[in-house]
Amino acid sequence: MKSRKIQALAGIGMIMVLFFLAAPVFGAGEEAPTSVQIDSLSYLYSGVDFDHELHVDVAENCSACHHHRFGGELEDKQCARCHSGSKGTFAITCENCHVKEPFTGQHIRKMEANLNRYHLDMTGLKGAYHLRCFNCHIKTGAPTGCEDCHTRTDAGNRFYHSGEYAPKGGVHAGVHE
Amino acid sequence: MSGISRRKFLKTTVAGSSALALSTTKTAFGMKEFHGYPDSMGVLVDLTRCIGCRTCEAACNKEHGLPEPKLPFDDFSVFDQVFHDGKQKRRTSAEAYTVVNRYDQDQGAPVFRKINCNHCNEPACLTSCFVNAYTKTKEGAVIYNADVCVGCRMCMVACPFRIPAYSYDSALHPEVIKCNFCYDKRLKHGKPPACVEACPQEALTFGHRKTLVKVAHERIREQPDKYVDHVYGETEVGGTSWMFLSGVPFDKVGFDTTLQHHPILDNTKSFLSFVPMVLGIWPAMFLGFHLLAKGGKGEKKNKESKPIVEEHVE
Repeated sequence: MKSRKIQALAGIGMIMVLFFLAAPVFGAGEEAPTSVQIDSLSYLYSGVDFDHELHVDVAENCSACHHHRFGGELEDKQCARCHSGSKGTFAITCENCHVKEPFTGQHIRKMEANLNRYHLDMTGLKGAYHLRCFNCHIKTGAPTGCEDCHTRTDAGNRFYHSGEYAPKGGVHAGVHE
Repeated sequence: MSGISRRKFLKTTVAGSSALALSTTKTAFGMKEFHGYPDSMGVLVDLTRCIGCRTCEAACNKEHGLPEPKLPFDDFSVFDQVFHDGKQKRRTSAEAYTVVNRYDQDQGAPVFRKINCNHCNEPACLTSCFVNAYTKTKEGAVIYNADVCVGCRMCMVACPFRIPAYSYDSALHPEVIKCNFCYDKRLKHGKPPACVEACPQEALTFGHRKTLVKVAHERIREQPDKYVDHVYGETEVGGTSWMFLSGVPFDKVGFDTTLQHHPILDNTKSFLSFVPMVLGIWPAMFLGFHLLAKGGKGEKKNKESKPIVEEHVE
C-alpha cells in the first residue's frame, strides 16, 4: 500500500514538473513565477506570455485566480459557502481541472455518470481562462481587446476573413442597404 | 309494425354516429403532450458571458463552407447595421446560419445576443411542412431535406423566431437555409456544434437538454443579482433545445416575450382533429339529411302505395 502511495505521489510530481517546465512549481512560501506561457490551446491566436509578477501586484489575493489552491482564503463567496474550511489542493494551473474539450460526448457522459456531482457546471479550459481573465479586465478597466493579450495567427486571420484574407472589393462593398 | 318510423331511425343513426365520431376523435387525435426526446442535446446561451467577438459566426461560416462574408468577422461595425427604418437588426440569411447582435442598454454595458435556429421540441416549421422536409432528430436537431422541399416557404412563416432563410439567389436549386445544429458533421458523432467549440467565453454550453435546464437554474440560484429569473426556451413554444440566460429583461435584447408556452402545433391540433370527421362523417350526415328531406315527400307516396306493400307482405 505504502509503495503504491509513493508511486502515485511520484507520478503526480512528474506531471507537475511537466506542467511547470516554463514556470517553476511554487507553493505557499515559495517564489511565484515572473511569467507564465499560456499556450496549450493556441490556434487562432498565439499563446499568452502572461506577466504573472504584474498580476500578483494587482490582485489582492492569490485565490482571485487560483480558486482551488488556497482553501480557506477563497475570495468567491459562492465557493466559501462550502469550502471555507477546505485545505486547498495541489492543483494550481487551470488545466489541472478544466479540460480542453469539455463538450465531447465522452466527457459529458463522464460528468453525468456521477449522479451526486454537485459541480455540474464546470467550464472547459478555454472558458476558464477567458472568464477569469476577461471578467476581471472589464471590472478593473484593463485592456479587453483580443489582440491586447495575444496576437492572431495566420490561421486566425483566415478564420476571421481578416487581414490579407479580408473580403475583396472595399470595406463596405456589398453591405445590405 | 314497430313504433320506429323511418324518419326516427335515420335521425337516431346519424345523431348516434356523429356523436360517436366526436367522442373518438377527442381521444384519437386529442392533445398528446411531447416534451422532447429524452436524450436530446441542447445549448445554453449565457448572454452575460457573450462579448460580441463574432467567433461563433466565423466558426459557422467555416464549418458549413458558407460564402465569404461581406465584411471580416472581426469587423464590429456590423452591430450598427439596421434595416427597415431601424426596426430590424441583422437576421439569419442564406449566407449566415447565425448572427450576433448588439443591444445597447439604458444602463450598463451593451448586451450581445446570438441568433440561430432554436431547435424546438415541437417545431412549427416541421408541422407546417406538408412534404415532411423537416425532421426532429433524437439528438435534438431540427434538420431539413432540400430534396423533397417544394419551396412553399410555409416554414419561414410558421417559425415563431423567424429563423429559416431562403436562397433566393439560386435560380435552379433554391432551398431553405437554417442552422442544423451541425447535425451531419458533428452532433451525430457526439461532438458539439462548431460555434460552441469556438466560443472563447464559453457563453455557449453544450450538453443534454435536461442537464442544461438544471445548470441554468443553478446559475440563477447562485447569482440571483446577475440573472433574470427565467430560462428562455425552457417552456417557450413547448421548449427549445437552445435556451438562454440573460442579465437584462429578455425583451431588452430582442427576444419575443409574448410567445405562448405550449407548442405552436397545439393551436391547430384541435382543429385538425376535426378534419377526418368532416371528411368522413359529414357526407354521410348530409346524405342522411338529404334523404330525410326527400323522405318526407316519399312518405306520402308510400302512404298511397301502402296497400300494395301490405298485400305483398301478407
